[in-house]
Amino acid sequence: MLPRQPLTSLFWLLLSLGVALPLWVLAWRGLGDLAILPRVLDLAGVSLLLALVGSLLCLGVGGGLAWLAFRARLHPGWDALLLPAYLVPPFVGALGFLYALQLVNVQPYGVGGILLAWTAHYAPVAYLLLRPALESKLAPLLVASEVHGVTGWKRVRALVPPLFPALVASFGALYLTLLGNFGVPAVLGLPAQVYTLPTLAYARLFSPASPDPLGEAAAIGLLLGLLAVPALLLGSQPTGEPSPRLLRPRLGLAAKAAFVLFALIAVVFPLVGLVRRALFNTFTGAFQPAFGAAWELPLVRQGLLNSLLLALLATGLLLLLGLLLAPQRGALKRLRQVLDMHYLLPGTLLAIGLILLLAPTPVYATPWIVLLAYLLNFAALMLRSIEAGLESGIERLVGVGKLFGLRHGWAWWKIGFPLLGPYLAAGVFLVLPLCLAELTLSAMLYAPGSETLGVAVLSALNGGLFREAAAIGLMLMALSLVLLLVPRRGVVG
Amino acid sequence: MLRLENITKNFGKAGVSGANLHLSPGEIVAVLGASGSGKTTLLNLVAGLLEPDAGRIFLGNEDVTHQAPEKRGLAYVFQDHALWPHLSALEHLLLVMKTPDRALAHHLLGRVGLGGLDARKPHQLSGGQKQRVALARALAARPRLLLLDEPYSALDPVLREELRLEVASLLRAEHVSALHVTHDPDEALAVADRVAVMDGGRIVQVDTPAQVYAQPQTLAAARAFGRLNLLSVEVQGGQVRLNGLAWAVQGVESGPGLLAFRYEDLAPAPEGLPAKVLAVYGGRGERLCRVNLGVGEAVVKLEAGLGEQVRLAPRGRLRVFPGRPSD
Repeated sequence: MLPRQPLTSLFWLLLSLGVALPLWVLAWRGLGDLAILPRVLDLAGVSLLLALVGSLLCLGVGGGLAWLAFRARLHPGWDALLLPAYLVPPFVGALGFLYALQLVNVQPYGVGGILLAWTAHYAPVAYLLLRPALESKLAPLLVASEVHGVTGWKRVRALVPPLFPALVASFGALYLTLLGNFGVPAVLGLPAQVYTLPTLAYARLFSPASPDPLGEAAAIGLLLGLLAVPALLLGSQPTGEPSPRLLRPRLGLAAKAAFVLFALIAVVFPLVGLVRRALFNTFTGAFQPAFGAAWELPLVRQGLLNSLLLALLATGLLLLLGLLLAPQRGALKRLRQVLDMHYLLPGTLLAIGLILLLAPTPVYATPWIVLLAYLLNFAALMLRSIEAGLESGIERLVGVGKLFGLRHGWAWWKIGFPLLGPYLAAGVFLVLPLCLAELTLSAMLYAPGSETLGVAVLSALNGGLFREAAAIGLMLMALSLVLLLVPRRGVVG
Repeated sequence: MLRLENITKNFGKAGVSGANLHLSPGEIVAVLGASGSGKTTLLNLVAGLLEPDAGRIFLGNEDVTHQAPEKRGLAYVFQDHALWPHLSALEHLLLVMKTPDRALAHHLLGRVGLGGLDARKPHQLSGGQKQRVALARALAARPRLLLLDEPYSALDPVLREELRLEVASLLRAEHVSALHVTHDPDEALAVADRVAVMDGGRIVQVDTPAQVYAQPQTLAAARAFGRLNLLSVEVQGGQVRLNGLAWAVQGVESGPGLLAFRYEDLAPAPEGLPAKVLAVYGGRGERLCRVNLGVGEAVVKLEAGLGEQVRLAPRGRLRVFPGRPSD
């Protein structure tokens, strides 16, 4: 019999390989269809450039807002002006910009529209990643600079280098997200024949003209993976202690004005577009809500039902997994690390991998394959949330209970799980809305009868049902904004 | 009650090496030592939070060396209280009782001065009240042995002194054996029947607080109680010569060493060593003077003015430890 340690290592190795199986299959199949790559290299370049420029824009806008908020010592309540833009699903935001820009006679399709929608949606992510770094790293250095009269270029030299790790990590996270984003390029790119690798993979997968749709999609997925991998090496966002509030507030008015301006552009503007299109007749301008017409569409009803069921089931199963693993922090952490690949890498890779893996099985073309994709994609988020709870000292307090004679299970029941409650709730409110408004995975994995709400919006758009799409988008936006009211716990993404 | 036999735990700088200790029923032993001397590691070994690399731990006649913490029947009062934030003061007690007894829980909360605060949760209590809940929880568990890890270090000085005296008398009244880790010599003097001094992971002396203070066996034991002067000296025939005066010493018969004496070990004497007062401090109800003895400086409990010339002689035989000042 093998000793325990090697057996455990073997178990984790096999599990890691198993979880990564969709990616292995994708790589294997993609390598067999490399002939397509020369024809898509220019598109890969576009995808790469878009992701790089988009990341820089998000970093610039989000970082600028973070700097202003930091200098002005803005109350965290002001974050409420930025968060709605992030909480609204990206493809809904893109839909909003599409209609809003059309209102002012600006052509929204293409690179400009994509970059605008991305910046509006993901700049708050940069803000959320950089503000804690500014508080923990910069505040003491800035106080020291002010006290010792370090100004101008010397101050820049003293303050900027310590921020490099946070900037690089934030850039990596944004780049990975934008590279894999499907919804925005699908809404604002596809109609103008502007492709990114995820939308190209989608287009090839459903192309009737392609001799080998799966192989081509796999090759494109492989290319997407290769472009994503370097960003995985950029490291994770460093966290730190909040700073002492010794800094004198400066630029208060500018900071508040910037926050309001961002909210107007990133939230109100697309909202006006959606409202205008969903509630008023496009031609007569009369008040004529399109919700009824949208509800009449079988695809919408089916999509809503499927999305609700899939989201509830995925969230419930992940919650159960989290609860089971919470008392074994080491196992939870290792599993989260294994599952991180599906959360961090573009969802397109997972979707194509699952198609390749499960096409010969009865699971294919059923809602179950979508459920499996959701579980693999969002598990890391739920487990991270629970991990954050465990790292906050809950495990020690359970240990104290055991020291006082409480049995393992009883100690977790009476102490551990109640204390984990807010973190579990945070996990639920992270995963549930993401599943509800998910598009990348479901657009590739759906089959007739297993469409999701996101697919319904995309189908409505493709079918020219713009008002109905706007109505569903508006509902999704409202649902997302409700989440603003839910208290959140800090889970670093 | 508790018996440690050659306990060893390699744990970085704060490890424990060959520790032996015996606690009688109802006895309170303070473990005193500098930071990193291994005292908290020792406590965690007794608690079962750490497992020793060698040696054995007995509770009564039972060998608990490899037993899980929950099976040892102990209670622990932590420096940071380690209260459960979602439970009220009363619920803390009920949860750890073998058979939940609300009347007893109310009684215990009253005993620690928390009557009427039963329903308060930790965030609704002050630091002192939290520590009282932690203590009541420990008593409610009816432990075989109570472990206290610097329980008052986060409290203000007044509350600290008040609480440590209250707790010590409460533990004696309840006949609870306790192992009390502290780096504060005043705390050890106030609460403990005996003191175990730790240095570099070793227990270097176990005795009554007064005895350790008066007759430290090692330099570390002498340092543990503070109020210590050290002068580099050369011993010859059990005597040190300071500016021509011979003082009889103990500890080293001949050779180099460190003459160790407390602030109150020197007194004015007509035939004593000449000294000049360099500075005067207001101590806690006493007057302390920094004096130049000609062979070095020292702090002495003395009624003298700044710049005054005095003559000082030891009240008894002083102790010399082998070593140099950097030791």
